[in-house]
Amino acid sequence: MIGSKLDLKQLFSRFRIPALIFLCFVFASCSSVNTITIQGSYPSPLVSQLPLTLGVVYDNIFSDYSFTEVDEYSGEDQYVINSGASQVALFNTILPAVFNEVVYLNNADDAVNYPDLDMIFKPAIEEFQIGLPQKTRLDVYEIWVKYNMSLTAPNGNTIADWVMTAYGKAPQSTFGSVDDGVNEAAIEAFRDLAATFSLGLTSIPEVNNWLQMNNVL
Amino acid sequence: MKHNKLLVKAPLLACLACFLMILSACTTTEIDQFRQSDTEINSDESIVILGRRQGTSHETELDFVECVGDVVASGSDGINVIPETTFLDEMFPFFEPRTAPMRTDHLEQLMSQEIAAQKIAEFGVEYIVWLDGLTQRSGESGSISCAVGPGGGGCFGFGTWTDDSNFEAEIWDMDTLTSAGAISADANGQSYLPAIILPIPLIARVESNVCSGMGQQLKSFLNGSV
Repeated sequence: MIGSKLDLKQLFSRFRIPALIFLCFVFASCSSVNTITIQGSYPSPLVSQLPLTLGVVYDNIFSDYSFTEVDEYSGEDQYVINSGASQVALFNTILPAVFNEVVYLNNADDAVNYPDLDMIFKPAIEEFQIGLPQKTRLDVYEIWVKYNMSLTAPNGNTIADWVMTAYGKAPQSTFGSVDDGVNEAAIEAFRDLAATFSLGLTSIPEVNNWLQMNNVL
Repeated sequence: MKHNKLLVKAPLLACLACFLMILSACTTTEIDQFRQSDTEINSDESIVILGRRQGTSHETELDFVECVGDVVASGSDGINVIPETTFLDEMFPFFEPRTAPMRTDHLEQLMSQEIAAQKIAEFGVEYIVWLDGLTQRSGESGSISCAVGPGGGGCFGFGTWTDDSNFEAEIWDMDTLTSAGAISADANGQSYLPAIILPIPLIARVESNVCSGMGQQLKSFLNGSV
């Protein structure tokens, strides 16, 4: 009898950590929060390249950007949408197509190590909104994002600071699950941003003035 | 004895099959065509069929665009159709919902950009077809209830609904940068779902009929045979 108690104790101590991991896994899977990580690929835009060297800074807020949709009835987190990595991938596709050379910087101060830089670009997300069919009563998943784009000279002087919005939608009939629908709507929104950014950058008055002053246009 | 039973059942089964066929074929399709200029396409030339997705109320489904493309490309008189996603990715960012040309004068502006004109020429695109439309469901009525017990389960009831499809194809000639014409397709059909132990879906193939009709008409239009 004593022997069997010892065996149980040994058994418990041996499997304590795996049991805890298993319980954590069970509780995590029972949780109502659904995490959606946006995944997609983006085409390189077909635009004339600017003969400039651009430094790019993605701060942690941007590269790890996550949006939490709260259930309006329970007040609890309903969906967590991780889009930072996908947005970094998007800009890493657009910028080398728009600029002759792109240098990735850890921060703006890093610019002193690159004397050939013409300008530094820093994107930021100001707002992120999601529209789910069960809430909007529409047959589409929707994503709307408001960005703040900043272009500065290597010495820190502002060249341009402007707001851009992106919108994407995906029909509920095509994408049955919320995860797929939200993912597709987000990819559409990011493509929308890429399209308007790559076609409209040189038309932004401050950017256009700078480009003309520096004989780029 | 068994032979007699089969003889009795055979006409009943035949009647049921006929009834089901009549019910499932309740779809009316109407195709209209409006031609503005002559069209002709060679075997080394291609077309691209794109869905309009600018509207807030609806967007043309990718599946429908693909379906029409398959019909146009099929048969001995089939036409080379560039897949929509390939064209959109290769022409990015010129045919996205916010940047795509809405009228032929916008197309002229786009083609004045060398980078876009060169890519279109690489594709060998002779015509761009814009598809716009949707299928709407209405008149849903009836109810079906299902129950499961220890001895088995089953459903009982009757449901019915109407599907209404309206699509329009606008054809742009890439040589003249003008509209060559338009084709519209309307179809509606009543679907039934009787349930006697098992639900028996009798679905009106409204959208697939529109797809087939639109695809055939488009092929004839582009080949210049109608």
